[in-house]
This record gives sequence, C-alpha cells and structure tokens, in this order.
Amino acid sequence: MKAPSSVGNPTASAPETLLELDGIGISFGGLRAVDDLSFSVRRGEIVGLIGPNGAGKTTVFNMITGVYRPTDGHIRWHGKDITGLAPHRIAAAGVRRTFQTIRLFSDMTVLENVVAGEHLQIRQKWWQGLLNTAAQRREERELIERANAVLRQLDLLDVAHEMATSLPYGAQRRVEMARTLVAKPELVILDEPAAGLNELESAALNDTIRAIRDTGITVILVEHDMSVVMSVTDSIVVINFGKKIAEGKPEDIRTTPLVIEAYLGQDDDEDDPLMTAVHQGQVTP
Amino acid sequence: MDTPVNSQTPASSAAPRISTVARTLRILGPLLWLLGLAIPSLFPPAWITIGGIFAIYSIVALSQDIVLGRAGMYDMGHAVFFGIGAYTSAILSLSFNWPILWTIPVAIALSAALGAILSAPIVKLRGDYLLVVTIGFNAIFVLAMQNNVFGITGGADGLFGVSGPSVFGQTFGSQSELFYLNWVVLAIVLWLMRNLDRSALGRTFRYIKYDELAATTLGVNARGYKVAAFALAAAIAGLAGTLFAMQLSAVSPGSFQFTDSVVLFAIVLVGGQASVPGVLLGTAMMFVVPQIFTDLAQYRYLAFGIAMILVMILRPQGIWPARKGAL
Repeated sequence: MKAPSSVGNPTASAPETLLELDGIGISFGGLRAVDDLSFSVRRGEIVGLIGPNGAGKTTVFNMITGVYRPTDGHIRWHGKDITGLAPHRIAAAGVRRTFQTIRLFSDMTVLENVVAGEHLQIRQKWWQGLLNTAAQRREERELIERANAVLRQLDLLDVAHEMATSLPYGAQRRVEMARTLVAKPELVILDEPAAGLNELESAALNDTIRAIRDTGITVILVEHDMSVVMSVTDSIVVINFGKKIAEGKPEDIRTTPLVIEAYLGQDDDEDDPLMTAVHQGQVTP
Repeated sequence: MDTPVNSQTPASSAAPRISTVARTLRILGPLLWLLGLAIPSLFPPAWITIGGIFAIYSIVALSQDIVLGRAGMYDMGHAVFFGIGAYTSAILSLSFNWPILWTIPVAIALSAALGAILSAPIVKLRGDYLLVVTIGFNAIFVLAMQNNVFGITGGADGLFGVSGPSVFGQTFGSQSELFYLNWVVLAIVLWLMRNLDRSALGRTFRYIKYDELAATTLGVNARGYKVAAFALAAAIAGLAGTLFAMQLSAVSPGSFQFTDSVVLFAIVLVGGQASVPGVLLGTAMMFVVPQIFTDLAQYRYLAFGIAMILVMILRPQGIWPARKGAL
C-alpha cells in the first residue's frame, strides 16, 4: 500500500516523487485563486484533488500543465523545475490531461482525435508528408494501429470513424481519455472525468482509472463524485479558497472536521456545493 | 448535416467509410485535369489565357486555404506572398538576366522566408487581430512597390518584359505553352495538397484550428506549426507568382492589392474551407464564370458579392465542404 502523501520528506524506501508542488500560488487581478499550495505525487499513486466549486482545482491543473504560469512557487517534475514551461513542453515531459469541459477536435473522427495524442511520437518530417513517401505511409499505418489498440481497450473501436463530438457524453469522455493514454504518459491528470456520467458509467470509470494506474501511469484526479474519489484514490488533497485544508488517505479525509465543515457536511442541500455538483453532473447536455 | 452517412457499414467494423462522392472524385479529378489539357487545341486564344489564369489563381487560393481553411488563421494579406514571388522572378530575370526557371526556387524560398518572418510575431494574436495585421502587411507591400523603395521594383508602373521559360535556347512564351506549364504546376500543387491532408503536418494544422489549447497539451508547438503553415502557404503562393509574371510578362503593384487578398479569402470561404474541390470551384466562379458572360463582366464583384452573402447565410460551410475523416 502507498503511504499517505506528505510534503517534503520523501524517505528512501518510499516510491519516487514524480511531481512536487512547492508553495505555488496565482492571482488573477486582485483575486488570489491559489495560495501557497504544496503537495507531491509519487509514482504509481492515484491522487484525488477535491474541494468546493471555485476552490481552485482546475487552476491547479492549469498551472501543472503550463496553461497558467504560477505567480509564486515552484513545480518540480522528477526533481527538475518545470514552473512556467509552455504546455507543449510539459506534455513532452510526459504529462497529459483531460478537460472539465470536454475538448475534442470537432469535425474530426474519433480515430483522428486519438491519433492527435501520438503527436510527440511522430517521426515523419514535413517534407515526407508532402511527398507521401513510403516511410511516411508506413508511419501513418503504425499511428492508426496504436490508436486502434487504445480504442479497443476503451471500447471505442466501433465508433472509430464517427465524428467525435457526435458521440454520447460518456463516450466523448472516453475518447478524451484514449487521446491522453495513447501517448503512454507518466502522469495523467483527469479533470472531473465523472461529470455528466450516469451511475453505470461512473462505476465503469472507477475500473478504467484503476486500469490506467495498473499500466504504470500515475493519476491525479479532480472529482465531485465522492463514490469515485473515495473508492479509487490512494490519497486526497482537499483545497478550499485556493489553500490546502487537508491531505491524507480517503478514510482519514472523510473524518477530518475541517473538511466536513468546508465541504462535506453542510446541511442545506441547496447551498451544498457537492450536491450542486451532483445535480449538475446528472444533467447530461 | 452533410456528413456522409453510410448505413450499410456494420457497426462492428472499424474500416473507414468512404463516401461515393469521394470515390467518384478520386477518378473524376484526374479526368478533369486530363480534359483540361485539351483546352489549347479546342478553344480560342482568349480561353487559353483564361485557363492559364484559372490555374495560377487556383494555386494561390489553395495556398490561402492552407493558412485559412486548415490552420484556421485569418490571413487577409495573402496577395503579398503571391506578389513577392512575382516580383522576385521579374527582378531576377529582368535586372540580373537570370533564366526565369532558375528564379523559381529563389521566388519560393524568399516567399517562404517572408511568410515565416512576418507571421512569427503575429501568430499568437487572436483571429480578428491577426486579420487586421495582415491587411497592414498588404498595404505596406503595395506602398513599398509603388514607391520603388529598393529602386528595383519599377514603381507604380511595375516591370515589363518578363519572358517565358527557355529550355535549350528555345523560349516557350506563347499562351498555349504557358497554359501547359501552369496546368502541370497546378497538378503538382494538387498532389501536394492531397498529401498534406493525409499527413501528420496537415492534421496538426487542423488540430490547432479546432482547439489550440487541447493541441498544445498533446505536445503540439502551436506557434511553430502556425509559422510553418504561413511559410508553406507563402512558398506555394510565391511559386504561383512566378507563373503570374510569365503569364502577364509584367508585374505591377495593382495585381497584389488588398482587394486581391479579399478575393482569395472569399474564394476559400465560399468554396469550402480545407476543401480542394471547393476552392477550385470558388476560383472558377471568380475567374472563369465572368468570362462566359463577358458583357456582364463588370458585374463580376457584384455577382460574387451576392454569392458570398447567399452562401454564408444558406451554406456557411461553403459550396463544397471538406470531406471529413481523412484518416
């Protein structure tokens, strides 16, 4: 079993620290969206990042993946500072993500969307593409084969040639996941993968996330669906108003008073961000 | 919408569905090109010229479509790259006595370099801002040529006397000979476009067009690819520029105005973005159809203007939309 993640003391016996957030913060205008946040992720872990709506979870993801540049602090990947690198450089380091609002390439097939995930494995030169050389054609076939293998894994092979954005919501989420997995990343960041899924789909998602981890990929997960978070994560980081308020194993988090107060235990259903999220999650667009 | 629906395809198969239209086009395209070869022997001289002009503008419009239809950048100064190619060939052949064929690689390289240099600082701009900047490029280019800033562009009148290509001392300058040259170059460019659409390069352009943020998180260096799209498009436009200089045996600032860029832009939108048949159709509408109604030729822009309005309202994806699912 994995030890609960604690910042700054990777012991010799513990699994290698893959990602380390060291006091990162970011402000938008006067708003302090994330403040002095530190946590680390070890290889092979599934880490959950939870918090009420607007707590800054997606902002954290955007900073890790280079979409936003933190105004303070450092992000280290394998011990190397990657703070403020461009998104494509972070991707090249082995980090992939999905988006809270699904971002598939419209007007392109499922297969084309997944092949996009192989961008960094592509060896053909631009002129080989223009001249349609034999080597280029061979590589195109290999790209498709690899994409098909992942599509089969995620049960999407049947719809490989459908327009990606014409699929049901749950399938679109799987396409986005296939697009990240085809790159064989070291770390996958999933931003609310259960949003918009029905109960059956979200149960299947649990298995998918575990299967991802079992192939050696580390996972960070933002999720409102507590059944997903509590059942798949090895450790949980709770943030509220951009600050970390708790960190530990799922069973410990459940009983932390601060967390219950901030997040889990509000009486009023209407004001409860969790309930709101659940309601939103059940509304399939 | 217009997605080719093929209900016979069993759901379990992962084979790509190829629409009948696409299959027909694969045969029809080359056939039409071959038929085009007969134009010089079947039609009066005026039509040979029109055919040659059509080929040249098709090449420029296809290159515009790389930036606009594929990479999704609003370039409304594309005539600049066309002009750079034309001026480069004219200047090298007239002032430096280069054989015109030798000027082609230089025209291509110079246009491509300019495409990269001009686009590098601006590709980060959002669509509408990029559009305004490229209009600015076009205005500056025309002004520079008119004012003869380097003393070699011939000012407002331009340069005259560009001759056709000569091979082994034999000069090929007649309209039919130039037509064949233009027609062959068009075939080469069409082949390059086909390959582009089947390659990682062409796909990456489209990934950026549809969702730049998603593309960058997959490792795409969006800025690099956008500059590459401009450079490639400029290179092809530059090649067309050389053909244009030969065809008219003259170049002048009047051929590369902002309005010419607007026409190229409109051809792509009206014909169909990222659609080769669409762009060819758009070019034909703009440069060939008016010739059939020569009495009404002065209404060319009126007719095209009305066509633009109607197509954008009734068929925003263009007359002949791109086939989806190239893989």
